[in-house]
Amino acid sequence: MRRYVLRRLGAFVATLGVVSVLVFVVIRVLPGDPALIIMGTEASPEAAAALRRAMGLDRPIPVQYLEWVAGALRGDLGRSIQYDVPVGNLILSRLRVTLPLTLLAALFMTTLALPLGVYAATHQRRLGDYVAMVASQLGIAVPSFWAGLLLILVFAVQLGWTRAGGFDGWQAGIWPGLRSLILPGIALGLIQAAILTRTTRSAVLDVLRADHVRTARAKGLSERVVAWKHVLRNALITIVTILGLQLGQLLAGSIVLENVFYLPGLGRLALGAISARDLPVVQGVVLFVAAVIVTLNFAVDLLYGLLDPRIRYE
Amino acid sequence: MTRLTALLVSLVLALVPALAPVGPATAGTSPTALPTSLVVQTTSEPPGLDLTATPASATAAVVFYNLQEALVKVDQHGKLVPWLAERWHTSDNLNYTFFLKGGVRFHNGRAFTAEDVKYVLDRARNPETKHPHQRHYEDIASIHVRDQHTVTITLKKLNTMFLYNLARQGSVMYPREALEQQKSQPVGTGPFILARWERGDRIVLKRNPDYHVKGLPKLDEVTFRFIPDPNAALAALQAGDIDVLAFGLGPESVEVVRRAPSLQVILGQTTNDVILALNNSKKPYADVRVRRAITHAVNKEEIVKGAMFGFGRVLGTNVDPLNPYFVDMAQAVPHSPEKAKQLLAEAGYPNGFDAVLKVPPQYPYTVRTGEVLLGQLAKVGIRVRLEQIEWGQWLDRVYKNADYDMTIIGHAEAWDAGNYANPKYYYRFDSARFQEVYKQAESTLDDGKRRALYHDLQKMMVEEAPVVWLYVYPRLVAAKKGVQGIWKDLPTPSMDLTEVSWAK
Repeated sequence: MRRYVLRRLGAFVATLGVVSVLVFVVIRVLPGDPALIIMGTEASPEAAAALRRAMGLDRPIPVQYLEWVAGALRGDLGRSIQYDVPVGNLILSRLRVTLPLTLLAALFMTTLALPLGVYAATHQRRLGDYVAMVASQLGIAVPSFWAGLLLILVFAVQLGWTRAGGFDGWQAGIWPGLRSLILPGIALGLIQAAILTRTTRSAVLDVLRADHVRTARAKGLSERVVAWKHVLRNALITIVTILGLQLGQLLAGSIVLENVFYLPGLGRLALGAISARDLPVVQGVVLFVAAVIVTLNFAVDLLYGLLDPRIRYE
Repeated sequence: MTRLTALLVSLVLALVPALAPVGPATAGTSPTALPTSLVVQTTSEPPGLDLTATPASATAAVVFYNLQEALVKVDQHGKLVPWLAERWHTSDNLNYTFFLKGGVRFHNGRAFTAEDVKYVLDRARNPETKHPHQRHYEDIASIHVRDQHTVTITLKKLNTMFLYNLARQGSVMYPREALEQQKSQPVGTGPFILARWERGDRIVLKRNPDYHVKGLPKLDEVTFRFIPDPNAALAALQAGDIDVLAFGLGPESVEVVRRAPSLQVILGQTTNDVILALNNSKKPYADVRVRRAITHAVNKEEIVKGAMFGFGRVLGTNVDPLNPYFVDMAQAVPHSPEKAKQLLAEAGYPNGFDAVLKVPPQYPYTVRTGEVLLGQLAKVGIRVRLEQIEWGQWLDRVYKNADYDMTIIGHAEAWDAGNYANPKYYYRFDSARFQEVYKQAESTLDDGKRRALYHDLQKMMVEEAPVVWLYVYPRLVAAKKGVQGIWKDLPTPSMDLTEVSWAK
């Protein structure tokens, strides 16, 4: 086990190393000059060049990279060009929106998809199954920004139950904060819920045909106990794998929905930073998200051992 | 009616108010007291708040006039009016003496004096300070402080744009002790004080109680919210979360807003000239016959109808209708596919040619305009491929390196005919005659003579057709009914809220 963890830790560091080089080089090789974006179409080339020098962007890329990595190792991700504040603080403040949003979407996704998937599988080729499958097909087909706009039009514009977007922070209390995140959370979780429903259904169907299920039924256990105790647990390996990937997807999907609901989250920070060529912010956010996703994958791998005692890490 | 039904009915009635759409975002409305705060949508977040470091219109929209002001002001009709200087005097158009308004204080409490004028303008003209428009101040020879409220600026040579340049966003007055904080906490003399900037979300301004114009501003608090998505912005206005849609109203949504009983549309002019730019240094656009052929091939009315839902005024040259020397040249090169084909044949392209049209989707009108143009140019044999490129790439490839055939973009600055006298500008238009006349116009003080020179410039633009001027982008603002005092036209890129208030 210890060797396994060490190996994974090595892979973690190596992945982040590769990601850091990639994002650093790509954003500098891409056409687009931060000085020019700040100065716009009306500035003189001399002024833009002077600004570029002031930002230290005229130095060789390897030198800039080493400086950045040295800083990052000390926990200093640099300073935002656009906002003039430390990148680390920016990421932390944006997590206050993105983390609850992603968790809310994940909660919505699992509470909807797991029961629905199990139900569809245990009622295969019956009406409930067909309804669930058509609904999930629809859920996959609807783009999340469109679902978001639709939800805004119905619940904010027509009914006036929620606000059309924006986030006023947690200082007003948990409930007002959560209220701003419910619609985007649903819109964000919808596609993934549809995918998870289908995955759960087919995973459960696979296990339903296994020998031990026949044995359980032969013992005279009720269908419900068979489904939830003997089938779901064995199907969970597949489901958890997909779930791990989906959490990453939710994080990525938040870029779109934070834009539609104008939430000051991590996704919008990344998007804005890319168009403003706010290099330190882009680097910091990408590195952070990569670290989260690698950690999630690691957690999923460890979960396998808990779900299936036959899996050993040696 | 049974008791149960009655109970149900009263329950439903009690719930109805809870279900009804929420009122103005500015809560606390009672029949007697009008709201004193305003929530304004703006499309892009400023890339820093220092007007002397970034010429971005997103910065000017928030900071210019609201937080910081200059000696001279361009008012809502495009006229130059005295502002922090209450009057000025010159006998030779080389020595200007400005008499500053008394009782003006910066937000930090210190009085605004002639020393500040000297410091700000000396810094602007110093190449070391990286002012984005240092050329606006390079004709200044010296600045002499006569007393606390009097300052004389001496020019090296006549410059007709001198007063106008002092009214630009880069000429705002700020205290030298607050120089370091301009980028994130600008200090000025404006009607509002920056309360806070929540990065990525909003900027909140508070009323300046010591404002030098009595009775202004009328609002206590203003919040700018950054909502880039036009659909989200419109929904936020409809849901009552924001009060004013300052920059994000698409022409396609004007009818929706007009029909809403609680909303109003403000339609006006801007100095934003939308053009189809051609790369004059590249074949076949180096040939004036080809450029004129393209102009003939374009049906500008159809573009305004098709891409802008009829909003926007057809344009003939780069001198827009808000300019005092404007001459209507919209019909000077009429739409005529036959004439276009004939000119193309003369230039050696009887079968037309292939071209790539680069448009930045950050500005949706460029894409829509491009889509309409595509069909029009195809009719004369010019086969255009539309390529959408991200704004950062557009600035780098098209604007900086002129790596393009055609592009569509709006030029928002007023008085920008000089771009055609600069062969290094991305049009790469190089005409010695135009450069000569422009130089004359810049140094001619007599209004009649200058007007004649500007007429010549506009005639030359039509003849040479360096780009195709399409239309003036309209000012489209949507607001809740009851919001009053918003500028109708936009002769300068500020969202001036000094006189905005709630009525009824």
